[in-house]
Amino acid sequence: MNDVAICLFAESGYDRAAQGVIGAGRRLAGTLGGRLHAITIGTHNPELNVRIAAVADSVISADQVELAEYQPELCLDALAQLCGELAPKAVLLSNDTYSQELAPRLAHKLGGSAVGDGIELIAQDGAIRVKRSVYGGKAVATIELKRSPAVIWLRARAFEADSAGSASVATVRQTRLNLPSGDRTRIIERKAESTGEARLEDARVIISGGRGLGGPEAFKDLQELAGLVGAQVAASRAACDSGWYPPSWQVGQTGKKVAPGLYLAVAIRGASQHMAGISDAKVIAAINIDPDAPIFKHCQFGIVEDYKKVIPLLREKLAALQK
Amino acid sequence: MNIIICLKQILDPEIPVRDFRIGPDKREAVRGNANLVTNIFCENALETALQLRERTGGKITALAFGAESAEDTLRKALAMKADEAVLVLNDGHPHPDPFTVAQVLAAAVRKIGACDLVMTGRESGDWGSGQTGGLIAEELGLPCISFVDHIEARGEGTDASLFVKRQTDNGWELLNAQPPLVVTITNNEFNVPRIPKTRDIMISARQPITKWTLEEIGVNAAEVRAGQSYYEVVDLAIPAKDVACQFVSGDTLEQKVENLAQRVIEVTRSL
Amino acid sequence: MNPTTTTNQAIIGSDFSGISYPTREVLWNIDNVWLMYVMFAVSSVIAGYGIYRRVSLWRRGLPENRFDRPRYRLLMLLKHALGQRRTVREKSAAFFHTFIYTGFIILTVATTVVFLHHDFGLPLMEGDFYLYFQSFIVDVFGALVLVGVGIAAVRRLVLRPKKLVYTDESLLILAMIFLIVLTGFLIEGWRIAVTFDPWGRWSPFGYLVASASLSLMGESIKSLEAMATAHRITWWLHAIIVFGFIAWAPYTKMIHVITGPLNIYTARLEPSGAILKKIDFENPEAPLGVKTLTNFTWKDLVDFDACTECGRCTSVCPANAVGKELSPRDIILDLRNLMHAEGLRIADRGQFWLPIADLKRKNSAINPQSASRIGRNPQSVVGAFPSTSPEALWSCTTCGACMEACPVFIEQMPKIIDMRRYLVMEESDFPDTIQEAVTSLESRGHPFRGTQSTRLDWADGLDVKTLAGARDAEVLFWVGCGGALVERNQKVVRATAQLLEKAGVKFAILGREEKCTGDPARRVGNEFLFERLAKENIDKLNGYDVKKIVTLCPHCFNTIRNEYPQFGGHYEVYHHSEFLVMLVNEGKLKLPADKLENSGLNVTYHDPCYLGRHNGVYDAPRQLVQISSRSFVEMKQNRENGFCCGGGGGMSFVDEPKDKRVNQERARQALVTGADVVAVGCPFCLTMMEDGINARKGERDVRVMDVAELLWQSLI
Repeated sequence: MNDVAICLFAESGYDRAAQGVIGAGRRLAGTLGGRLHAITIGTHNPELNVRIAAVADSVISADQVELAEYQPELCLDALAQLCGELAPKAVLLSNDTYSQELAPRLAHKLGGSAVGDGIELIAQDGAIRVKRSVYGGKAVATIELKRSPAVIWLRARAFEADSAGSASVATVRQTRLNLPSGDRTRIIERKAESTGEARLEDARVIISGGRGLGGPEAFKDLQELAGLVGAQVAASRAACDSGWYPPSWQVGQTGKKVAPGLYLAVAIRGASQHMAGISDAKVIAAINIDPDAPIFKHCQFGIVEDYKKVIPLLREKLAALQK
Repeated sequence: MNIIICLKQILDPEIPVRDFRIGPDKREAVRGNANLVTNIFCENALETALQLRERTGGKITALAFGAESAEDTLRKALAMKADEAVLVLNDGHPHPDPFTVAQVLAAAVRKIGACDLVMTGRESGDWGSGQTGGLIAEELGLPCISFVDHIEARGEGTDASLFVKRQTDNGWELLNAQPPLVVTITNNEFNVPRIPKTRDIMISARQPITKWTLEEIGVNAAEVRAGQSYYEVVDLAIPAKDVACQFVSGDTLEQKVENLAQRVIEVTRSL
Repeated sequence: MNPTTTTNQAIIGSDFSGISYPTREVLWNIDNVWLMYVMFAVSSVIAGYGIYRRVSLWRRGLPENRFDRPRYRLLMLLKHALGQRRTVREKSAAFFHTFIYTGFIILTVATTVVFLHHDFGLPLMEGDFYLYFQSFIVDVFGALVLVGVGIAAVRRLVLRPKKLVYTDESLLILAMIFLIVLTGFLIEGWRIAVTFDPWGRWSPFGYLVASASLSLMGESIKSLEAMATAHRITWWLHAIIVFGFIAWAPYTKMIHVITGPLNIYTARLEPSGAILKKIDFENPEAPLGVKTLTNFTWKDLVDFDACTECGRCTSVCPANAVGKELSPRDIILDLRNLMHAEGLRIADRGQFWLPIADLKRKNSAINPQSASRIGRNPQSVVGAFPSTSPEALWSCTTCGACMEACPVFIEQMPKIIDMRRYLVMEESDFPDTIQEAVTSLESRGHPFRGTQSTRLDWADGLDVKTLAGARDAEVLFWVGCGGALVERNQKVVRATAQLLEKAGVKFAILGREEKCTGDPARRVGNEFLFERLAKENIDKLNGYDVKKIVTLCPHCFNTIRNEYPQFGGHYEVYHHSEFLVMLVNEGKLKLPADKLENSGLNVTYHDPCYLGRHNGVYDAPRQLVQISSRSFVEMKQNRENGFCCGGGGGMSFVDEPKDKRVNQERARQALVTGADVVAVGCPFCLTMMEDGINARKGERDVRVMDVAELLWQSLI
């Protein structure tokens, strides 16, 4: 009854989010003194299952034709059946679209409680508490789940992967579930937009250039830099107005309002007009030659230097660190 | 197409960080001079509903569970041209957990009756649990689609069929669904909430709003008033933010940039 | 008199023998004079109908009282109608218009004199008066009319300034005026020649015609008879043109002879900052803004008919200057033409003579077939023309330059706001960025979406009291959103507060209780929101029993001073520049003697429209600049001719196309002066000018500073 179940979609593979969920699950199971069960939904993904098997105590692969592609009602049914069997104390999911969609409903079906976007899990005196950011990042709440199981979707990338591993490699069990022919909703078309055109609003990291860049050429350098850290490149109004970068990538009061994890402002002074667009950024950093530039008032860290000197060096250093 | 749209009134999410305060019980935010506004995703949902009605006809009922002040949110919905408004008065816990909210809203939906589509925002700008839509669906035994940004309806009555587009992590999906169902709405460039016409604001001030007590909708009023049978907020704190910018140190430019790169990598890895 | 029965000398001449005083025979050589009276009657009827028709159209407008304070209005009439104060501001117009205008006044007086002499038997055409005035002065002024017409023709045909409207009507008017005076001189000359008028030389130009004719044709009886015939024909030609002109004039822009003075008499008497009207929101039938012509007041409709097509409004319009669609002249003229077209259509339907009472009926009387011309909405004036397109309406900064430039006091700006009101309140149709500002005003009481500043950030480390904690404060310092919530401006607020503190002023602020005065809401046309904000603020101010207010922002200044009285808020309001100058003059702020020598700054000053043009405060900020810097240089366009920074009327919340930015044009004008500092007295101007200067200054070090900052800098 102190077991932990983690639910992952096979399609996503063994990405950083999956690693975070597995790590969090392993540690929570340890704290609770229970076993760690992993459920993977969708077409068997050998790499994922092998990786999980090295950490979890049991792995269940729900690979059947109905689940080959995500369908909300079917997947929910499958998860409810599997978790119901396992009767865990906690169910952990990632914060992808599908997990977020299903978690509250799964909790309801299991008679449990759900909470989302967890950034820290606390198991104490038999109760499970979750820390999460609320009020648009202005506060952090600690929430105690009253019902069991505790269904939690995690801000998965914020959790460390497991480092220890389990003593033995678990076997991967294939299941066959009896799924209803649920056709009340059905995904009939899906489209992945290429990352090159990903929405600025969704970007995890944004590198943005301003009037101080002095021309369009510098944006090519920023793009190179962005490639190294998986960032999107954006621009201030002044830069867009000067025609150095397309207006659809303008950030600010009159442009896009973005909420990246990191916003690196290059040669942007930080007029309030601009700051209005990045008030939800979690970390703001700046490269600016002027120590009095208002942008530094909003920064967690920054460097007072000419961007022309910084960018080539930074590219070099980032490339080295990423290896 | 009969649509019930659930609206939440929240503390203005745009108040400056410096004006944001937490009450002495460390469980909720202090309102202070800030305004109460309609949650933005709820407004996106209402806008989506209004556009759907423009294409297919039907009726939109705005539903809120909240204090008397939530009347403002419903009046705004009426000004935006929702047809009717229902307020379930919350005289209990000011921030009940999402299950409590879903229970109340589901009961109200049942009481309102004939309904093809229940819409909610994907999450609220205050507590942002992101659960209400899904839990309403479970309470009502309906399917649910989340992160929807566009809906088209085809056919009439029992043949009615909905085409629902929703956002995913890396693109979008198109779903076909048979009403009734629940959808949670996210924003896109096409469902930016309309600004009501002043004329309609003036009219909405005189429109009736149906008000129900918890007893009237047939829920366990005591449990709802307690509002934390599902989860409980045990602490609320303002994260200590190092407001002062840390200028990266280093004797040479190269060292400074090295440190800068370190910080950048640190942050990107933590995401 | 029958010429055939008299002597040779006077065969066809007047008999001057025995008359010892200067005079002439009235209506010499003219038979069937009754015909003239018939012509006069006919032309009067036609002209009268033209005027009646216009008046009928005006009466379709909504009521508005513009006849209070008659003494003051008469003064306006003397100064601006008779005195032509504004007309003569522009040099080319000063000449040609003054010549024609004064000439016609003199000629009209002269004609009246003839009329009184002839028909009422008043012996006016005699003696010195006849010689000095009726002959000499009238002749000279007649000639000036010809000169005036000449200049106007050159301007219209050769110079062709962009601001004019080029119509055949204008040319025809000029031609007719020219012909009237020319034929006048011809008949005068021929009369002098044929009658051998002994006092002919007193009419120098007539005498010139006479001498020329006599020397060309000789003095034979035959030629005299020919001249007499020519005189008679020309006299009737003259009469036909004159009466034709009188009959036609009310149908042309010449109606400004009547509507100009009428418009000046009924002009607003308050500062232009107080010009916007309230809407009665209690009345569910009240139109919210202007959709149809009948939503305008009668005064607005008179405005249309008062327009002389001079184009000055458009030529001073900052939005027009940077290439935007807006043209106040075209708004007035398009709506004028529409008014007449609609009026005619109503007339066609036999309804023209109906008493003008029922608004709805009037609206339905407008033919929906005009839809194609008027656009998507057959009855809407908004969008009916390029000039009234939303795009044009949304580029007005409400700077008021158009109204200041208009010689006949047409009120262009409030009409733009009226049409915006319709767009905003009835159609909810406005630019996204304005929508955001309005939404923010609604929910947060300030227009800056997404600001992370609070209303008290600027006071960090200062001991500034709020009114709640300092009820005995004598002065309320109204900081304003632009001051408190925009980082750059927080320094200005700080400087002002420190100056007040240093001068020992017992002041307090409202702090978090302060809300936007509503100015941006009102200027973008959201009167409903403005009224809400205004009432909330007035309740608060009256609750604290506030008497004296110092504002940082000219917009707040204007709204509290000129607009809050409409809602029961009466306060003594000062702009910070006025108040600081008072403190300096009272010796409460003392400048160190050596300080000025050290300040090598060369400063120019940009007039904020809502301080200057809309409220007439030009000197106080200049005094502050002169106190705190060594040299002061004016921009070319200053004081009432100041050029907007581009930020008024809610436009600081609009993303202007980058090649059409008003602030960059104003920055260019400021940079031309060579100043090191561009001083301003408005947080919005500061932001706009700083943006413009930064974009344009290149390598130069040019700063934008508020006058309070300059003063503070010279004090510390």
